[in-house]
Amino acid sequence: MTTLIGALLVAVAVVIFVLQPVVKGIQASMGRTDDELTDTEARKRVALLALRDVEYDYLAGKLDDADYHSLKAELTAEALAALRADEEARARVSGTAFPGDEELEAEIARVREGLRAGVVCVVCGFENETGSRFCSSCGQKLGPPATNTARQHA
Amino acid sequence: MTVLGEFALWLALPLAIWGGVLGFVGGRTQRGELILSAERSVYGIFFLLLLASAGVVAAFLGDKFQYWYVASYSNRELETFYKVAGLWAGQRGSLLFWALLLSFFASVCVWLNRKKNREFMPYVVGVLQAITVFFVVVLLFAKVNPFERLPFTPANGQGLNPQLQNYWMTIHPPTLYLGFTSFTIPFAFAIAALLNGRLDARWIVLTRRWTLLSWLFLSVGIVLGMRWAYEELGWGGYWFWDPVENASLLPWLTATAFLHSIQIQEHRGMLKVWNMSLVVLTFLLTVFATFLTRSGLIESVHSFAENTRIAIIFLAFLGSVTAFALVLVLYRLPSLRSENRIESFFSREAAFLFNNLILLGAAFTVMWGTLFPLISEAVTGEKVSVGPPFFNRVNIPIGLALLALAGIGPVIAWRRASRRNLKKNFFWPALVGLGVGAILWAIGARHPMALLTWALGAFVLTIVGVEFWKGTRARARIEGEGYAPAFYHLVTRNRRRWGGYIVHVGIVVIFMGLAGAAYNQDVRKFMEPGDTVQVRSPFGEQYTLTYQGISSSVGRGQRNLLWQAVALVDVAVDGKAAGTLTTEKRQYVTSQQLMTEVGIRSTPWEDLYVILSAVDNVEGVLRNDPGAQAVTLQVLIKPLVGWIWYGGLVLVFGSLIALWPSVERNRPAEQETTDVPAVVSA
Repeated sequence: MTTLIGALLVAVAVVIFVLQPVVKGIQASMGRTDDELTDTEARKRVALLALRDVEYDYLAGKLDDADYHSLKAELTAEALAALRADEEARARVSGTAFPGDEELEAEIARVREGLRAGVVCVVCGFENETGSRFCSSCGQKLGPPATNTARQHA
Repeated sequence: MTVLGEFALWLALPLAIWGGVLGFVGGRTQRGELILSAERSVYGIFFLLLLASAGVVAAFLGDKFQYWYVASYSNRELETFYKVAGLWAGQRGSLLFWALLLSFFASVCVWLNRKKNREFMPYVVGVLQAITVFFVVVLLFAKVNPFERLPFTPANGQGLNPQLQNYWMTIHPPTLYLGFTSFTIPFAFAIAALLNGRLDARWIVLTRRWTLLSWLFLSVGIVLGMRWAYEELGWGGYWFWDPVENASLLPWLTATAFLHSIQIQEHRGMLKVWNMSLVVLTFLLTVFATFLTRSGLIESVHSFAENTRIAIIFLAFLGSVTAFALVLVLYRLPSLRSENRIESFFSREAAFLFNNLILLGAAFTVMWGTLFPLISEAVTGEKVSVGPPFFNRVNIPIGLALLALAGIGPVIAWRRASRRNLKKNFFWPALVGLGVGAILWAIGARHPMALLTWALGAFVLTIVGVEFWKGTRARARIEGEGYAPAFYHLVTRNRRRWGGYIVHVGIVVIFMGLAGAAYNQDVRKFMEPGDTVQVRSPFGEQYTLTYQGISSSVGRGQRNLLWQAVALVDVAVDGKAAGTLTTEKRQYVTSQQLMTEVGIRSTPWEDLYVILSAVDNVEGVLRNDPGAQAVTLQVLIKPLVGWIWYGGLVLVFGSLIALWPSVERNRPAEQETTDVPAVVSA
């Protein structure tokens, strides 16, 4: 008898628990949360991660200068493309204006130029690529990266 | 309680069907109330299966021998500890246990994602519940119901196989099952991605922690199984390429491949179809392993075969999952195109790809060897087993290639490595490897495979060591920190990478331990009390073993033991006394066979392993007759065997570092990008 009552209680409890949302129309959460990435965000993140890897490999002494510069230039271009796609997507969502092609082109050109020009370390004289926050040779903190300011205009 | 458990199992079937259908329909129609109901059914199933499992355990604890399962795997004399473990001692309980663990992980997954990843969750729930339906159907309708009653109630049960009465045995199967079942979650996400069309790396990012957790459980389960075989089976080894051992190794191999190849998809947007295939294959292999272990398809020390109907149902399930996944992949093929291609054979992508091909090759050969008896029986009518020599010959070179890649992969550059890059990173490690090889050769190690393993091991360890050193140094310079905090921050800022390196170290240590087997010493001697046997270890120690005699105790009946004969062996190392080892023969009520308990003396470098091979005059020994004490002892020296267990611990440590929730996750997205070079970060 107790078993029967137990079984009945279990069955009723489970059925009520499972059917309640359908009967009462309780909705599951359907929206996206802030910490979820969109497709373009994910792609951007991948591109930035790749850049971080290259930076790390270089600092750790696994890449020599020539490899580093060519890889970095390539990855920077990809990362910019990803950034652009992401901003485009954001602009679509929020309905705000999106920086035009010309502006982006100009920005990429600025970055490229910066890469070629480099930043000379005041302590050891090592020629770092633009955007480095620290000297790759001696670790000296470098001035504010030129491209940071460049992007703020964009 | 047991009746209630049976009722709960029946109730689970309609509930799982409900949840499965609503999951798919809710996902398709995006109706929140259906999705919520489906998600609640996951918790409901967990509750019901928990009740069902409690019912089985209650039947074991209450000696309810009217149940076939309890009568077959327990008896009154069995220790309480093993009665609880009765839940996974046989086919029927294991299947229920599998379903219980699956529903547990499903509940955790639904709970963690109750507010996020909502476009995946309905399908994830649908897939998980569909798999649950399969297992509940098997339990109820494939003649494997653990609640099946006998027409009469036996006075006592048949008892548990004595080999399973070992503490490793109580934790080894659950650990493996945790690994098998938790891999269902990445599989469910992969299928959900195919269904909802979000085929970027997101499903991989969402499940990589699950994948790693599952991999960790599988690894630990396998190592525990080796440990159990080593201590309990009494033949001096830890791996016999037994079908069930192989069955647990197969998903481990493909899961390892998957863990590596998802990094290429994350970093380079490549290998999407490949990753889908690997996740499906690994899931299929976990189910296959469960099926192989518990179907009796291939005779093995583990397979306690019961019926063949279950074989057909399992094969049908494996077939339909394969077909379903294949159709989905083909349907989504246009969205699964690679975003990049491999630029050079000398790149990290290529190293990962080789690693994958090799792991898959290993999986294929193990599969082939395992199924060979079946294939040969089908073709020639004769069951031909391939033994350990086949597996060793094929898998040792494969293992060595993997070992080399474990060193090459972490340091070779992404995209393409220049000749200078290769020279810069590999010159010194290669030199250290060669040096270690040369030194070992000089002191007399001549076994080619073992020598190669140790040389490659030294190569990999040097590379990992240098990686840690370079990383720490770079960080110390950049951030102006001391070396200790720099090292700490280095690891904590990228746990996956550095945890992965530590896992590599664990694997290297395990491999080095396995290679020690090339120098096993094995002496067998017929001995009277007072006789000695001498064995020289490859490390130069001279072991002198003096047989003291054997004494028996009869009819204690406790723990199902009929009698037990204990031989005492004094051990001296280089002439100095080093304690006494015991080795036993035991006769259990529940088994015809005599069981052997071995004596092991472990040091970090080698184990002394003593087996009581045979008792000359059992009758005399049982009477404790002083004139009938002759025995045959087998004495083994097993160099480096302990390294397998130490390596296993390192592997767990590394995996835990990689699994530990990172700080990064809780940071807002904006801040996250400050890690990357400033060129594109502002």
